[in-house]
Amino acid sequence: MSMTATAGHAHADPHHIGIVVEHPGPAPKRIVTAYGFWVFLLSDIVMFSCFFAAYAVLAGQTAGGPSGSEIFEQRNVAIETVCLLLSSFTCGMASIAADTHNRLWFYLGMAVTCVLGLIFLAIEFNEFAGLVSRGYGPSRSAFLTAFFSLVGCHGLHVSAGVLWLLTMMAQVFAKGFRVDILRRMMCFALFWHALDIIWVAVFSVVYLLGSGA
Amino acid sequence: MPAVRTVEPMMLGKLDWSAIPFDQPIPLIAGAVVLVGILGVLAWVVLRGHLPYLWDEWITSVDHKRIGVMYILLASVMLLRGGSDAIMMRIQQAVAYQSQGYLPPEHYNQIFSAHGTIMIFFVAMPFVIGLMNLVVPLQLGVRDVAFPTLNSVGFWLTATGALLVNISLVVGEFARTGWLAFPPLSELSYSPGVGVDYYAWSLQISGVGTLVAGINLVTTVLKLRTRGMNYLRMPMFCWTTLASNLLIVAAFPILTATLAMLLLDRYLGFHFFTNEAGGNVMMFMNLIWAWGHPEVYILVLPAFGIFSEVVSTFSGKALFGYRSMVLATMAICIISFMVWLHHFFTMGAGPDVNAIFGIASMIIAVPTGVKIYNWLFTMYGGRIRFATPMLWAVGFMVTFIIGGLTGVLVAVPPADFMLHNSMFLVAHFHNVIIGGVLFGAFAGFEYWFPKAFGFRLDERWGKMAFWFTFLGFYVTFLPLYVAGMLGMTRRLQHYDVAAWRPWMLVAAVGMAVLTIGVICQITQLVVSIRNREALRDRTGDPWDGRSLEWATSSPPPVFNFAFSPDVRGEDAYWDMKALARKQSLEHEGPEYHDIEMPRNSPTGFVCAFFASIMGFALIWHIWWMVILGGIGAFATFVVFAWRDHDEYVIPAAEVARIDGINLEERRSLVSMAGGV
Amino acid sequence: MSDQTHMHVEHDIAPGDEEQHSVGARILGYVVGLALALLLTATSFFIAGTDLVWQPSIPVALIVLAIAQMGVHLVFFLHITTGPDNTNNVLALAFGLLVVFLVVGGTVWIMAHLNQNMPPMDQIMPMRN
Ligand code: HEM
Ligand SMILES: [Cu+2]
Repeated sequence: MSMTATAGHAHADPHHIGIVVEHPGPAPKRIVTAYGFWVFLLSDIVMFSCFFAAYAVLAGQTAGGPSGSEIFEQRNVAIETVCLLLSSFTCGMASIAADTHNRLWFYLGMAVTCVLGLIFLAIEFNEFAGLVSRGYGPSRSAFLTAFFSLVGCHGLHVSAGVLWLLTMMAQVFAKGFRVDILRRMMCFALFWHALDIIWVAVFSVVYLLGSGA
Repeated sequence: MPAVRTVEPMMLGKLDWSAIPFDQPIPLIAGAVVLVGILGVLAWVVLRGHLPYLWDEWITSVDHKRIGVMYILLASVMLLRGGSDAIMMRIQQAVAYQSQGYLPPEHYNQIFSAHGTIMIFFVAMPFVIGLMNLVVPLQLGVRDVAFPTLNSVGFWLTATGALLVNISLVVGEFARTGWLAFPPLSELSYSPGVGVDYYAWSLQISGVGTLVAGINLVTTVLKLRTRGMNYLRMPMFCWTTLASNLLIVAAFPILTATLAMLLLDRYLGFHFFTNEAGGNVMMFMNLIWAWGHPEVYILVLPAFGIFSEVVSTFSGKALFGYRSMVLATMAICIISFMVWLHHFFTMGAGPDVNAIFGIASMIIAVPTGVKIYNWLFTMYGGRIRFATPMLWAVGFMVTFIIGGLTGVLVAVPPADFMLHNSMFLVAHFHNVIIGGVLFGAFAGFEYWFPKAFGFRLDERWGKMAFWFTFLGFYVTFLPLYVAGMLGMTRRLQHYDVAAWRPWMLVAAVGMAVLTIGVICQITQLVVSIRNREALRDRTGDPWDGRSLEWATSSPPPVFNFAFSPDVRGEDAYWDMKALARKQSLEHEGPEYHDIEMPRNSPTGFVCAFFASIMGFALIWHIWWMVILGGIGAFATFVVFAWRDHDEYVIPAAEVARIDGINLEERRSLVSMAGGV
Repeated sequence: MSDQTHMHVEHDIAPGDEEQHSVGARILGYVVGLALALLLTATSFFIAGTDLVWQPSIPVALIVLAIAQMGVHLVFFLHITTGPDNTNNVLALAFGLLVVFLVVGGTVWIMAHLNQNMPPMDQIMPMRN
């Protein structure tokens, strides 16, 4: 389509350098989907930030109950962290396998990711159950309220991630590496890695800083 | 699970017959009227055989235009509900001088809480989101939003929230805590009923819907623009949509988190905001306003965008200072996250904190002022047509300036210590919300109605609606400034101060005038539908508009544009539309291509169905029902993820047929008028 | 047409996607990322428990290490780079981080001041149970 002369050079070329970078039109679906999900992740991180803020405000309010250094066990946290880091790695391997349509490595990568996620959840559940049984449940003090909410919120996200992971495996099993399924896989990988980032903040702020206090 | 603290063995949790207020006629009658209305409409739909049409074309539709219209419909209906609350409160304050008035205190408290909640979340929000949905893809020259099915989910979740709030009218009660449910009043110890739970779960569910809409629109603006639609060629409304939705995405999670904390306190005995065990009530104010202030800009920015479109169209000029407008919009987007403490200056953060937030609040008035000047300069020297949308725009400018100035006044901490929580504050925020957001919504409604439905609205009734609303607004709210100066605090169920009485009477009269305005608006709609043949818009461009939505027919075909407009003109506005119109008129048949469009999907409706069940069950502690709803929601999700065909193809021949009909009509008009 | 050259640029890339790389290079990226992350984690845990460094520096060190590790994750796992095709992704991230910073920083600042100006609660009305 050739264009007739147009009036004015007003907006697209403010500095009159003679080159207008034309917008190429709507982005391909893969980019649109991933970008939308990226924006969702940012909103999720803002939500976490509120729980972090609440934790920061309430961390000292132990109301006669235990403080962080009395209840945190660094060995467990270290194991949890290693689990999540490794699972991020295996999740990455699964993404590569998905992109190259390699079923074996995909299932393997996802399965290991799932197992690591479950180990993480088991350790966390164990920690929570232990605290509650000692009477240090979330209603004991504002500090414990904030602690359980923040860490539990991350745990809930991991649980949702595991459900999603299983759905992804089932989908690949039933339908193969279709484009739309690959798009979802990409979103899943983003989600899983983002949870890792949040965990870095959790173990640093809650467990490590907290056990010093 | 959460059953730890509830011991009811009953199947229905806390729900029993005592939840229905048989002894209170007002909510019962109101509920009955609403119920009869709903049943009547339903019966009519079923008997006339419209149900399949409704299901196929609206309920399961993922077309952004349809969803936009449904959002606006929801907002309009809720406006009537919130308006009824307002009338009741104005009458109460007019009569409750040295007496109890006609509303018992616990009922009055529910009314102002419901009024605020409904007006912000179920009127203002859906109205602006509806307009953005309807218009933005058209202005960007694309066929749909980024995530059409999610868009439908977002709408239906918003509707779920509205449904729950209205159920509370007859089953149980609504919160008595004000529209932000401040603890410790909203904690279990002081509000043991289900009112706060209705409030919180409605907002949680509709909040998810809003977040989805926000993500969708951000992605649409950033990633789906037609060829050549560079950022600085976007119409102003697209910019304000971007800013507003960025704010949604960044702020709504804060609301979600804050309400989640409140709910954890109430349901599981946590101690975020309790008085005991180290909880901190002031953290609630802090967090909720960290969402709350951005929220007011989420509402008003789209309205600014609408006014920009309207003012430049009806002045026949390009928007003055387009770039400064873009800059101002984005500046507001950022600064609005730095001022939230001005809502609780009196909480005692001390001079340092108060001063910094006070100054930041005043700074935000600067970009707003820039905008006002830009609109004025756009009008200056233009050939102004005072059609109804333009009347709303001019009315807005006058009104919003007053509201903005009083805003700057209360942003001065010492002044705010006097005016906080007074009627002056009530007048301020109605001044900006009615004068800004609602006037904007009405302007957008009048302006884009022909685009959505293919016929214009009656101008005579439209102008009457404007004048009554405009005058009614001033008569209602100016007296509240005075009452506030005389020391009247907000949320009073009755009072004994003689000096306040006259102002309350005047405000009640104003309310009556406002009501006439609303009636005119309804009449306008009815009259216009009756005369729709005479008012039909055959050109697709009834106002001589300046952006791409006017380049297609009214109403646009499902696919919006038979050919994606190719924007090459350097002028961001008018040329582009003229060009696109010319391109579409010049095209000849054989070049049509198949168009892929997203398939309809009941996902949104089904999701909302389960969300309603879950919400209701959570409110009443009916745990088995919660689990059932949760399983249903997950199943819906999996089924949705499992489907194989999410798009259908409109064959080129069909596109040609649809476009042919439109073109024929428009060409004949163009040749009659002798030019594009 | 006018005297201007109209240039069409390629699209951005999706967050999480990498520019074209061979499988080997992609795997290597994850290996490096994992190694760095483990290293930083180990350092954090070590510093938190040690007596070897000046104690007041520990919180600062932990926060710096955490931020560094988040950066490692962003670059090696989420593939967020500074390339021009990533501008939109980075801008969104920057906006998100700004909000996070404002909300957390603002809350801590405000709440600390509220407490400062309060009379000591436990002295005027002991409410602890
Ligand atoms: C010119 C810019 C503005 C400034 C400086 C400003 C300032 C303020 C201040 C300081 C308060 C708190 C007063 C108090 O609680 O004592 C306030 C309340 C409020 N403002 Fe504004 N405002 C501005 C614009 C707006 C806009 C554009 C809207 C909505 C579209 C809005 C809506 C509200 C609402 C809803 C409240 C009170 C809510 C409540 O406490 O229940 N304001 N404003
Ligand atoms: Cu504010």
